[in-house]
Amino acid sequence: MSETLVEQALPKARPAAAPIVACVLAWLVPGLGHFYLGKKSRAAAFFFVVAAMFTLGIGSGGAASLVEERQPLTFLATFDNVAAGPIDLIGRYVTYGSIVYALPSTEGDPRRNELLGRLRARVRSVTYEYGNTFLLTAGLMNILLILDAFDIAKGRKT
Amino acid sequence: MIRSHLLNMVVFSVLVAVFFAFLTQDTRKDRLRVVLILGGSMVVLSLVLAYVMYPFPLR
Repeated sequence: MSETLVEQALPKARPAAAPIVACVLAWLVPGLGHFYLGKKSRAAAFFFVVAAMFTLGIGSGGAASLVEERQPLTFLATFDNVAAGPIDLIGRYVTYGSIVYALPSTEGDPRRNELLGRLRARVRSVTYEYGNTFLLTAGLMNILLILDAFDIAKGRKT
Repeated sequence: MIRSHLLNMVVFSVLVAVFFAFLTQDTRKDRLRVVLILGGSMVVLSLVLAYVMYPFPLR
């Protein structure tokens, strides 16, 4: 069947580009989703910016967030950290010395005290707030990159 | 890592501006324009806001 003029004018994704694959790749490595979609210069720029944000965040004393049941906003912050992709594991290891996502809820739990102690050590850094801002922004940027890769793969954007 | 407030702000502004320039524009000229306008606005408006807030006491 022939395409209408409107259909012909719409931007098209590469035939092999699967939206889900693009999104997963975009989450795994910032910019990889765009690389997969053939946007190589964008991919390089996005990788550089998100990696720089993350590195500055960790270097400035930022801390990966932990889910704490009594503080609902920690769910959002942790989700944002995880959205940065597997590099979040580095942030967690640097912050807590292990890969951990939730703070034990029982007061007096030795594990809880240990994690809080490690967190407080980073909070004492004078650049902690800057570091956290850089870390959270890296996560937010990667969420936008995942959505952008999805739109490009769907043909909604060139 | 970077202890200067101003330098942190400038680095943050430049990175965010570059990110949105590549996200929203396709040509080098348009990207440069977005970096200059967005990055410049973030820095200048922050300095203006800081200057306006200066007379107000902290407590």
